[in-house]
Amino acid sequence: MATVVAERERVVEEARAPLIELAAVEKVYRMGRLDYHALRGIDLTIGEGELVAIVGPSGSGKTTILNLVTGIDRPTAGTVAVGGRRIDAMSEEELAVWRGEHVGVVFQFFQLLPTLSALENAALPLDFARRCSKRERFERARHNLALVGLGDKTEHLPAELSGGEQQRVAIARALAADPELVVGDEPTGNLDTVTAAEMFELLERLNDEGKTIVYVTHDRELAQRAERIVSIRDGLVVAA
Amino acid sequence: MLSALSRKSTSDLSRRRSRTFFAILTLALAVASIGIFAMPSLMNRSMQAEVRAGKLPDLTVFVNPVELDGAQLAALSGVPNVRAVEPRSRFDGRVYIGARRAPASVVGVPQFGLQRADVVHVASGRAPGPGEVLTDLQNANQGLLSVGARDSVRMIAANGSVRQLHVVGEGRNLNGGQDVTGDDVVVLYAGAGTVASLSGVRGYESLAFRLADTRPAAVDATIVRLRTALTAVPGFRGFRWMPEVRAAGDWPGKSDFDNFSKFFYVITALAILSAFVLIANTLSTLVAEQTSEIGTMKAIGARRRQLAAVYVKTAMLLGALATVFGIALGIVLSNVAVRFFGSTFFAIDVAFGVDWRVLLVSVLVGVLGPAVAALPAIRRATRVPLREALEASGSAVGSQDAGDALLRRVWFLPRTAQIGLRNVGRRRRRSLATALIIALAVGNLLAVLGLAAAVTDVTHANWRDHGEDVKITTPSERPLGARGERLLRTTPGVASVEPMFDAAVTVAGQDGFVWALRQNTMFRHHVTDGRWYTPAEERAHARVAVAERSIARATGAQVGDRIQLETATGPIPFRVIGIASNLQDSGTVLFAPLATMHAVLRGTPSNANDYWVRTSSSEHAFVDRTTTLIEDRLTAAGYEVGTEIEYVGEADNVASNRTITTSIAVLGLLIVAISLVGLANALTMSVIERTREIGILRTIGARGRDVRRIFAAEAVTLAFAGWLLGIPIGYLLDRGLVWLMKEVVNIDVPFAFPLSNVALALAGSVLLALIVTLLPIRRAVRYRPGKALRYA
Repeated sequence: MATVVAERERVVEEARAPLIELAAVEKVYRMGRLDYHALRGIDLTIGEGELVAIVGPSGSGKTTILNLVTGIDRPTAGTVAVGGRRIDAMSEEELAVWRGEHVGVVFQFFQLLPTLSALENAALPLDFARRCSKRERFERARHNLALVGLGDKTEHLPAELSGGEQQRVAIARALAADPELVVGDEPTGNLDTVTAAEMFELLERLNDEGKTIVYVTHDRELAQRAERIVSIRDGLVVAA
Repeated sequence: MLSALSRKSTSDLSRRRSRTFFAILTLALAVASIGIFAMPSLMNRSMQAEVRAGKLPDLTVFVNPVELDGAQLAALSGVPNVRAVEPRSRFDGRVYIGARRAPASVVGVPQFGLQRADVVHVASGRAPGPGEVLTDLQNANQGLLSVGARDSVRMIAANGSVRQLHVVGEGRNLNGGQDVTGDDVVVLYAGAGTVASLSGVRGYESLAFRLADTRPAAVDATIVRLRTALTAVPGFRGFRWMPEVRAAGDWPGKSDFDNFSKFFYVITALAILSAFVLIANTLSTLVAEQTSEIGTMKAIGARRRQLAAVYVKTAMLLGALATVFGIALGIVLSNVAVRFFGSTFFAIDVAFGVDWRVLLVSVLVGVLGPAVAALPAIRRATRVPLREALEASGSAVGSQDAGDALLRRVWFLPRTAQIGLRNVGRRRRRSLATALIIALAVGNLLAVLGLAAAVTDVTHANWRDHGEDVKITTPSERPLGARGERLLRTTPGVASVEPMFDAAVTVAGQDGFVWALRQNTMFRHHVTDGRWYTPAEERAHARVAVAERSIARATGAQVGDRIQLETATGPIPFRVIGIASNLQDSGTVLFAPLATMHAVLRGTPSNANDYWVRTSSSEHAFVDRTTTLIEDRLTAAGYEVGTEIEYVGEADNVASNRTITTSIAVLGLLIVAISLVGLANALTMSVIERTREIGILRTIGARGRDVRRIFAAEAVTLAFAGWLLGIPIGYLLDRGLVWLMKEVVNIDVPFAFPLSNVALALAGSVLLALIVTLLPIRRAVRYRPGKALRYA
């Protein structure tokens, strides 16, 4: 464990090319008759291979940042670029294809499809991307499931897995297309402490392999383990 | 001020607008279909008004032409119980329709301005003068003769000359209209003088009476008194037929319409059934979705009864809203239908009407029905343990039972289609209900189409049994005889001629006909049991008969049995030697040797009075030309003949049967409409419930067409399951309708269930399912992932 941390610190010192660039981003949600300003003009750059935690109180705009970075939502003003591409200017269809290739998303409530087995869930993004042959898709999914320690439960349905196991499937799914960016919205928020720690180690390992990891968390301890903490309050970045 | 709980009942409706819309639409269709039950009463009401306006006679007496002056008519109306009398003359002949001639009757009305019974209304134009006629509205309605004012009709008079009759307008008369509809005879109305000049006979042929007391005993007594009074009239030459008594409240075609309505009731009952399955389904989704809210309410102290009240109120509110639309729709539907039947079959304008009893039932069913339908779901939801209820997500998860395992084994489909397929298994109850609704629609269509095919088949088959191209008829008192028959045989274009005749008989209380045919007849008989008669039996005048299946079944007669035929000349014993599957005269015919029938029916002409003629070519124009030639030659030789061209009769028969089956099928579309609403409803629910899931799919790279394919697969699976379930339902229903045809309408139709229709239904249900689900699928695709993920 200690060696892993030391290695990471060494990587931080190197200069990194920017992967994610948010410039003057605002996001306003219309809630009934009221406008809710989730983000009030933020600038944020995250470099390739970084492990970044986004923290802040409830309603501060943490999840909104993740949604903008993954193209799940669009900014009301400002620009969002990932890997040099303006994703705020892409159509929904382009975004779907782009996400399938470049981004893996892990949700707090796992969000697996209940009628598909662990293996099918983990292979689903490849089905959508129509990448490689069917056999290869399953091989990759099986490899990813083994990577997260679920090699023996590939045929189980989500309902037959524990919370931790479901989240592992979700991570395997996020890794399906071997994306350079993995984002997690409270990825350990719904897990017990031991499972949460295991999960986080998995994310750290992926980061070590060169993937950029961005996650939102309420957990102070978990946040401390990131190499960089972005603090959000009232829709503004207060520390980055 | 509404309590918080009552407020919830109303606000729940505006929460999921599209579902509320579908629920109201479904309920409204169910309530509207109840409106069909108002049809007989609406029709009856209009017909009773027509009976009053038309002064329809209670009693009609048919006489050989007799001249009656004003005083004699006044004497008849002075007979006790008689309120009014109206005399009529009549000429039955032929009119030209293009080059062809068709049977026609001209009814003579002494004074159009003063009709005391059986009124011929002048629907358009003016009352006819000498040499002028009105055309019955039904002539054009039934496609027999389309002429208007200023046109003229060429009619062959009794003396063979062709008269030009000027049409001065349209006439309407209940009895005349039924002659057109039922017998395919062109009916015209003229002054008595015009009829006399056509027939060459002066005098009246029928007397229509309106009576004060229409009870059977009073009517019978009146008939006796009228017989006496008429017999005393100088020049009276006897009665032509039995008097015709109209039962109180009856009108021409009433029993046909009532029978016809019974088919509608079957279809309507199905429509209501499928609507209720859909309502129960909708309300069960509505309640199931709120399981976690029910949990919350329980947690803060709500009792089961209070919770039930909330949802029962919601259901009743839905019902009340739907009832308003449904009743309006039902009134329109029943009035449009009755108006259609009124104008098609009776040439009457049915007045707008509402049957209050049906309306009351509609309100009760519409408001209380949904509450009752919701009860099982409410019971289930309020009994879910509190913790489970609080954790319910509203979206069912997959399970691992045999059904799911089966669905998971479908490996060959693309992943998206697999997801759609497996989703069907997630809401088992709802999927089943949706499939059932589709099944009812498919079943109904298969049954109605099967019946229509059977009716058309049997009609064609009946006509195919006829070997002749033309049937020549002569009055029984003036048969052709040897000279006339020779004339007929030598007419150019005639290939062969077969004499025959038919007579009405009664067997064991059942009405039927005897067809007296030669042993080697051109009629194609299909003996299924026993045999046809032999030349030896014909020569020996053996009293043997071959019975059609229906009359054999109705009388219990079997091969070898002895039966008594009640004929005009008294009872005659016959032996049944065969059973035939032919369906002439609705299967009520007994075939007997021509020579035997001549021998046993004393007083009948030595030769037959009908002739079947086969022409050298069956080409329609050739048959028309030959028929005209036959008529001309025989008329010129002094014979009075009528002709029936087989291909024309067949076309008329098929067309009128098609009107009936089409009407039943059109009503069946109501069920199809309900099932489409059901499918759209189920798919919309599915999309709403899975909004978050759609967001996740989009997040992991699903494109619009992937999402589209998931829901399309679900729709196609439901349609397929519905179709599969619909086949046995359709089969049984078809059997039921055929039974109804036999028992109620007395038409023996062989069962038909064409497989081509089954295949057509599959294509139709899958196609309609895809069309109906376009909108919900579009909605699913349009959800932005961010919005979908935030959806709760």
